[in-house]
Amino acid sequence: MSDLDDFKATYFDECSELLNDLEEQFSAIEDGERGADRLNAVFRAIHSIKGGAGAFGFSGLVGFAHAFETLLDYVRDGRVDLTDEVVALCIRANDIVADFVAAAREGTPLDPDHGAEEKARFDALCRGEDDDMSGEPMEEFDIEFVPVMVNLGQDEPEPELATDTFDAIPFEPADGHWEIHFAPHSALYARANDPLLLFRELAVLGEISVKAVPGFVPPLADFEPFGVYCTWEITLNAKGINEGMIREVFEFVEGDCDITIAQCGPTAVLDEAGAPVVASHITDLDENDFDADMVAEAAKPAEPEAEVLSFSELAETIKPTAAARAAVAAQPEKVIQPLAESGGGEEGGHRPAGVQSIRVDLDKVDRVVNMVGELVITQSMLTQQLDDNLRARYQELVRGLEVLAQTTRGLQDAVMAIRAQPVKSVFSRMPRLVRELAGKTNKKIRLEMIGENTEIDKTIIEQLSDPLTHMIRNSADHGVETPEKRAAAGKSEHGTITLSAEQAGGNILIIVEDDGAGINRERVLDVARERGVVAPEQQLTEEQIDQLIFAPGFSTASAVSDISGRGVGMDVVLSNIKKIGGSVHVRSRTGLGTRMTLRLPLTLAVLDVMLVKVANNPYVIPLSSIVETMQCSRADFGRVPSGARVLQVRGEYVQVVDLAARFEMQSEADEKNRFVVLCEAEGSVKVALIVDEIIGQQQVVIKSLEENFERIEGIAGGTILGDGNVALIVDVQGLKTAAIHKNAA
Amino acid sequence: MRVLTVDDSRTILAMLRHTLVNAGFEVLQAEDGKQGLDVLKTEDVDVVITDINMPVMDGIEFIKHVRASGQHQSLPILILTTETSQEKRDQGKQAGGTGWIVKPFDPDKLISVIQKVVH
Repeated sequence: MSDLDDFKATYFDECSELLNDLEEQFSAIEDGERGADRLNAVFRAIHSIKGGAGAFGFSGLVGFAHAFETLLDYVRDGRVDLTDEVVALCIRANDIVADFVAAAREGTPLDPDHGAEEKARFDALCRGEDDDMSGEPMEEFDIEFVPVMVNLGQDEPEPELATDTFDAIPFEPADGHWEIHFAPHSALYARANDPLLLFRELAVLGEISVKAVPGFVPPLADFEPFGVYCTWEITLNAKGINEGMIREVFEFVEGDCDITIAQCGPTAVLDEAGAPVVASHITDLDENDFDADMVAEAAKPAEPEAEVLSFSELAETIKPTAAARAAVAAQPEKVIQPLAESGGGEEGGHRPAGVQSIRVDLDKVDRVVNMVGELVITQSMLTQQLDDNLRARYQELVRGLEVLAQTTRGLQDAVMAIRAQPVKSVFSRMPRLVRELAGKTNKKIRLEMIGENTEIDKTIIEQLSDPLTHMIRNSADHGVETPEKRAAAGKSEHGTITLSAEQAGGNILIIVEDDGAGINRERVLDVARERGVVAPEQQLTEEQIDQLIFAPGFSTASAVSDISGRGVGMDVVLSNIKKIGGSVHVRSRTGLGTRMTLRLPLTLAVLDVMLVKVANNPYVIPLSSIVETMQCSRADFGRVPSGARVLQVRGEYVQVVDLAARFEMQSEADEKNRFVVLCEAEGSVKVALIVDEIIGQQQVVIKSLEENFERIEGIAGGTILGDGNVALIVDVQGLKTAAIHKNAA
Repeated sequence: MRVLTVDDSRTILAMLRHTLVNAGFEVLQAEDGKQGLDVLKTEDVDVVITDINMPVMDGIEFIKHVRASGQHQSLPILILTTETSQEKRDQGKQAGGTGWIVKPFDPDKLISVIQKVVH
């Protein structure tokens, strides 16, 4: 990756953060919080996006952000009122900025008119026009933007760019002799500008000689640090320069000095004024190889005629001034202490720069996570080696191992905490989505978000965006009704989608709930039967029907809408969520709404499991899904008319899956010695797994099967056990779904 | 030579660092004016480059505080600004800024501007 790519990556990261922040700010502004802080924050964020965009030459983004920023500046100053219309415009503009950023990131071109309407409205507002009928955009928005790329060393030289107004001054460059009169004001010194440095700059242009013209010089005790006690006469002999180039040297001190520049004919001799001249010919500034043979008594105030100083002597004359400045600075009564009244508004001490947080490459964290994972395995392996004999003999060792186990667990928690991030980063993209969906479907939809600060593993968060988008789309498209239908049903015209996150035990629950019409079960079942997802004679509970919307290739929208798509949405949700060890459940109440729950693990890496044996092979079942275990000899099995085996538990019939048969192996265990592991998949649907032997509970580090091998139905992944053997992780949800499909086939 | 760069944009900070380090400078960073002041309390720097629009403490306030602190009256401070208008630049100068750099900056120009204000 080149440096430029690195910068771009940093920039786009920063943009995502800024855009997320902007979403929040605008939501608050929309809710009526229109304080100066918010407006300033919004202005700054757009300004930052523009600044970076300029560096990379994203001219469309720069142009739009500039116009937007100008409007925000006007609003900030009160020159434009923040009416509801302006707020709505800003929110739209924010989305457009996001589009420009996305287009820049993906390298895909946008419609050339994208945002043009909004930009024109900015112009009109800033010009104080109320109507929308503005014609020509404001001139200042048509800034010619010339991107200046960062030179990374290996590229061709950058083209000369006219960055200075002085370059525009149409002076013909000429060889010649220039006389410059330079009289600094006190402000020049107060801003840390230094005549010496200016002379050094001038010397780059050509040969200079500098004459100090002393004014009134007070006794040393009365010296003011920034006092002006002399002016300067400079002669410059140079080839191919113009006045603009000389003025550029004085660019920073314009207004802080009086300056006159006069060209006195071609290549004049230095001593034409008749002054006692000793010219210093300065060619290389870094090597102070000036002629030492200079006029010794420099800057004698009483002398009627000023002396010409050498460059190095100039430095000497200026030094006392600097020393005097320092002396005054050291006087306590002159030291102003403004920090207490600083604009930060933060109470208490100032935090030291850069110690609050550090940015670490995620790869590095992942390496630590992996190593901690391996440590967990090693530690559990060591513990397993301990038999009673060893325990009795090496008590110290046993104690040590116990401490190791505890520390390992602590280390694991600490590492996971590093990876945890608030779900806010995903949630904050949703308001825009809902606005867009509401616009496209002509519905009125409000989005409420709860628990945005709930933290989950970063990897899970990254995987969450797509499923969540699909779920929200589904709610907006199929859940929430049109305002007319809602009114007819006696509901408020505004539909509400609630997005919430909470931690429940070892899981994070993410819930998308709408107050729409609920799932049309009849229609779902019809479609499912039509498409062979469910066998014609199969009877399903309402709950089971609801889950069908996640079945592959399923779509209930009678007309394919451009929002939820062709039913590729919800099964993607299921497979994405399963990939990260989570599950999905939907619950619908007719006329009242639909609630979709994502249950996600707190972390991806480590799982509490029950270790079992099937046909002499170790398998692990996630502890979180196990309800109870029992011996087969004590279980109450039966058969349903289709011939499928069921288990009766407390009056409930539960589908039975013999893992040996399911995974096409022969179990040699006697049926009555085998065990039933009753598991609960999402939505309290149970499934009874038959295994040969139950070994115990432990923690395992999940290894992806897909990455290392391929995806297998009914298997969620693999793990390495303490003894070095590989065990497969049973995917309870997957087994259950597969069983339904098998029955249907 | 040590440069303190103050900007709330990580991108700009990264680009400044790259350019300055390539030119042989040592770079210190702060993300707002307040952090910048904290750095100046403990670190000696030869020149400061600061953004104007920043949270917590903006560049103008930052420059005022630096100049008022009594320690840094001769410290060159360059204002980093995208403003094409003279207004922000003037505010920055009024507060005590030595000069300015217009974003987006050309690396050579950046270095030459720094050299223009530093001994």
